[in-house]
Amino acid sequence: MRRVLFSLVPIVTLSMLTLGLCVGPADAQTIKIGNLVDLTGPTSDQGKDIAQGRNDATQYINEKGGVNGRKLELVSVEYGFQPPRAVAAYKKFVQDDKVLLVLGYGTPDTEALRPFITKDKVPYISGSYSGHLTDPKQTPYNFPGGIDYTSQIRIFLNWVKEGWKDTSRKPKVAFIFADNAYGRAPIESGRAYAKEIGVDLVDEEVIPTTLTDATSQLLTMKTKDPDFAYVNTNTQWVPVVLKDSLKLGLRTKYVINNYGIDERTPGLAREAAEGVYGIQDVAYWGENVPGMKTLMEWHQKHHPNDTHASPYMRGWLWTLMAAEAIKRAGPNPTGEGVKNALESLREWDTWGITPPFTYTNEDHRPTNRARFVLIKDGKVTFVREVSVERDMKWIGK
Amino acid sequence: MTEQVVFLLQLIIAGVAVGAVYSLMALGFVLIYKASTVVNFGPGELVLFGAYVAWATILSMKLPLTVALPLTLVVAILLGLVIERGVLRPLIGEPIISVIMVTFGFASVVRGVLNMSWGSDTRPFPALFANEPFRLGPIPISPVHLWSFVTVMLLLFAFSLFFKFSLLGTAMRATADNQQVAQSLGVSVKGIFALSWCIATVVSALGGIILGSVRGGVDFSLADYGLKVFPVVILGGLDSVAGVLVGGVLIGVLENLSGGYLDPIFGGGVKEVAPFVVLVLILMIRPYGLFGRVDVERV
Amino acid sequence: MQCGDFRVSYAADERIFETRLPVIGVVGLLAVLACVPYFAGTYWLDVLNRIGIAIIGAIGLNILIGFTGQISIGHAAFLAVGAYGTAILGTKAGLPFWLAIPLAAVLTSLFGLVFGVPSLRLKGLYLAIATLAAHFITTYGVIHWESMTNGVLGFNVTPPKVFGLAIDSDERVFYLIYALVVPAVFFAKNLFRTRVGRAFIAVRDRDVAASVIGVSLYRYKLLAFVISSFYAGVAGGLMAYHSRIVFPDAFSLLVAIDYLAMIIIGGLGSILGSIYGAVFMTLLPEVLKLSATSLTGVYPNAFGLIASARDIVFGLAIIFFLMYEPAGLARIWERLRSYWKLWPYAY
Repeated sequence: MRRVLFSLVPIVTLSMLTLGLCVGPADAQTIKIGNLVDLTGPTSDQGKDIAQGRNDATQYINEKGGVNGRKLELVSVEYGFQPPRAVAAYKKFVQDDKVLLVLGYGTPDTEALRPFITKDKVPYISGSYSGHLTDPKQTPYNFPGGIDYTSQIRIFLNWVKEGWKDTSRKPKVAFIFADNAYGRAPIESGRAYAKEIGVDLVDEEVIPTTLTDATSQLLTMKTKDPDFAYVNTNTQWVPVVLKDSLKLGLRTKYVINNYGIDERTPGLAREAAEGVYGIQDVAYWGENVPGMKTLMEWHQKHHPNDTHASPYMRGWLWTLMAAEAIKRAGPNPTGEGVKNALESLREWDTWGITPPFTYTNEDHRPTNRARFVLIKDGKVTFVREVSVERDMKWIGK
Repeated sequence: MTEQVVFLLQLIIAGVAVGAVYSLMALGFVLIYKASTVVNFGPGELVLFGAYVAWATILSMKLPLTVALPLTLVVAILLGLVIERGVLRPLIGEPIISVIMVTFGFASVVRGVLNMSWGSDTRPFPALFANEPFRLGPIPISPVHLWSFVTVMLLLFAFSLFFKFSLLGTAMRATADNQQVAQSLGVSVKGIFALSWCIATVVSALGGIILGSVRGGVDFSLADYGLKVFPVVILGGLDSVAGVLVGGVLIGVLENLSGGYLDPIFGGGVKEVAPFVVLVLILMIRPYGLFGRVDVERV
Repeated sequence: MQCGDFRVSYAADERIFETRLPVIGVVGLLAVLACVPYFAGTYWLDVLNRIGIAIIGAIGLNILIGFTGQISIGHAAFLAVGAYGTAILGTKAGLPFWLAIPLAAVLTSLFGLVFGVPSLRLKGLYLAIATLAAHFITTYGVIHWESMTNGVLGFNVTPPKVFGLAIDSDERVFYLIYALVVPAVFFAKNLFRTRVGRAFIAVRDRDVAASVIGVSLYRYKLLAFVISSFYAGVAGGLMAYHSRIVFPDAFSLLVAIDYLAMIIIGGLGSILGSIYGAVFMTLLPEVLKLSATSLTGVYPNAFGLIASARDIVFGLAIIFFLMYEPAGLARIWERLRSYWKLWPYAY
């Protein structure tokens, strides 16, 4: 019995290996795009929808004839949000698969790969909207796929200042952020901007990556009694923070960044989500924008039993953007050509999923507009359009 | 009461509540160790299992609570049996490092299976208790925390009685002491092992349910709670049920106090590492934990 | 093939290889290794580089756990100290790599000395838990000592230079890594022919009895930690130069568990086993990835499933090895060899 089982092991391994090596040579006409996804790590709740969005969008584009007559092929690697695996995957993308561009994902790995992609001239559209990726002088090949975190924190601070009517004192704010590159990305700029416009930053709370409960952080924040708090953490921590805050009776009003709040937040945080504001970068499921019908059709066709949420839109958006850039780069696109093509996008219509995108060769911030939303009666409701000037002072920060 | 005192008391109470949950998880660990001297390095995954199965039965299959909760516990029992029979029985007598690695191994398998079956989205967990906090003086206490503390106390009390007075409990203690002698006296060692694993999985599943209700959602980060078990059992002793409660509460309180007072100084993260620093200090002074039994070695 | 032990001089007794064939074999292997970069694609070079680093780390851990019996789950912490040490010395202090790596390794051994002190009081499980705590404390230190380590943002490492030639591609790093793997293996193999090595084994088998016959437990346990962390320091330093960025995430508890799996699957107490284990554990995710990519073409949803399959396969591999061959791949190899040698006889 032992021997039988034992002989099975090498047979299974060998067959898997041969299966793997038997991947036929790809159609020489396909354009390869590197694709990093997180399906098992801490952001996998978003990552799964993003991956589905990217796959579906690629299929859609290929069904419509591809780009300049060539089909797109996603070379996907699941990296569990572990930067070392992302670095290894990137090496494989560039050296073995010879991808034209990479659809990246998280902030730690995107920031880590900056010197590599600049050297290799591989355009990198990332799910990370870190401000550190927006300066073409430093990172010419990085293109954040949405309004950057620094602009978002500026929007928050502006909103606080504008709505503040009490002339006896300055408004007090706090930052709550995750203890990783993503969480920390906009904090320094946030501090500087708060000082600049006259908002009092009274407290900063760090949420570690293995969060068990936020009570002590929130209790500390309560002693400083901020009027508003900006939350820049991983999506899963947001309901915990909100619930603990409700439980402890804090009167602070919360504004959550684009990744922290979406259609699912009211369901997860329930009463604690009432009265919570957020910044929305991409259309929510079912919103009345031109592209929504197509996306919803595709989602129903391929994943009828899955969650319907905004990360799916993001996946579509970035893939469509990549396809557009490759199309503009002409019949024999190179990495540099695609980069230039991306920088030629001016008020490019994203099927209404986001405000139109503009990248220039001086500014890789795709947009400076977003929406302010409020959770009321268990639903995310639209408050107003917000924007912040494309101040070059904040580029790359 | 002054603000400082209120702050301190709130931290302590939150710590006690969280600590009660730690004790529950640690109880599973201690039970397994007490009966079979096996160390389970995957307690987090067992908790995760319980939380996900509970979610699945309550929300996905929409079973009423009275059916769903016992069903979750039954599934947990099955898991315990599978683990004991399939994985641990063949490893009786192997060196401890192998046993530790095997528990890592099946923790990994459980995690993978959960991911495959239900994906890693954050799932909302049904609120099993009211959310409105009631007040003890100026201090708000959430009913969830109170109920979890009460549940844990009851369970721990029940288990200490079980171990001390019932025949089965005595048999378990006997097996932990000396398997051969216990066997010669008619104790079914295999049955005892199976029982201890089943109790452990059930208790972890309860822990998972409580954690799920406290946090309002289940996702894979629940497994990170698992590692907190170690400071708790070192503090309380690897085979002491009473010690588990003391250890859990102390660690919970210690965490929150260091979070409240030290985090602002050191810029965050102290809360997570403080229990481990304490663990090292305790081990240096008392190598067998505060209430643990000293191992007599024969050369 | 020898039949019997017949040595007439001390020199003969001290020889590593008894006959000429193994020497030719080893020299041949080294020659093949030297030529590999010319033929292998960059992806496979990257894999081989990671295998080389894993071999050094695994041997270090095996010395501690397999040969000296001290259970340690803190290996990732030592790798982190080695990696950050090399990165900081090489980039911030500007030291050349042949100073940065050894110095970082020495630093790691000092670290190992400190964390080895609990081993004098603690045994088995308690030592394992203490090393677990050491891991978390070290990770905390690395993340929060931002002025030195850049915290969670990661630390960029400047490539080492050899005679002005920058080692910044996988082919060149390959030589650096294997130039260190070969002496590491030989040192370890030789260690267990010496008094120190035998003392380690004595401590593992019956430490009370060993102390009775005069083996200083205090000294040898600490020495085991020192040597093991020196290896980890070297491996960490090579990791820094290989990936050229050092992240705290690269040294999570999962890494320590991976190394433990390597030495257990490979075989505790066997240098060859460490090598096999390192190869196995590094190739496992690659095999899975390859099958995932090929299956995705046929069945797109397989991709998500295969991702979680990684955890399952890893767990099952550990469980199967521990159940059916607790002495690991090294024992399997030995059985194959003796089958070959003794055929058609059974023993």
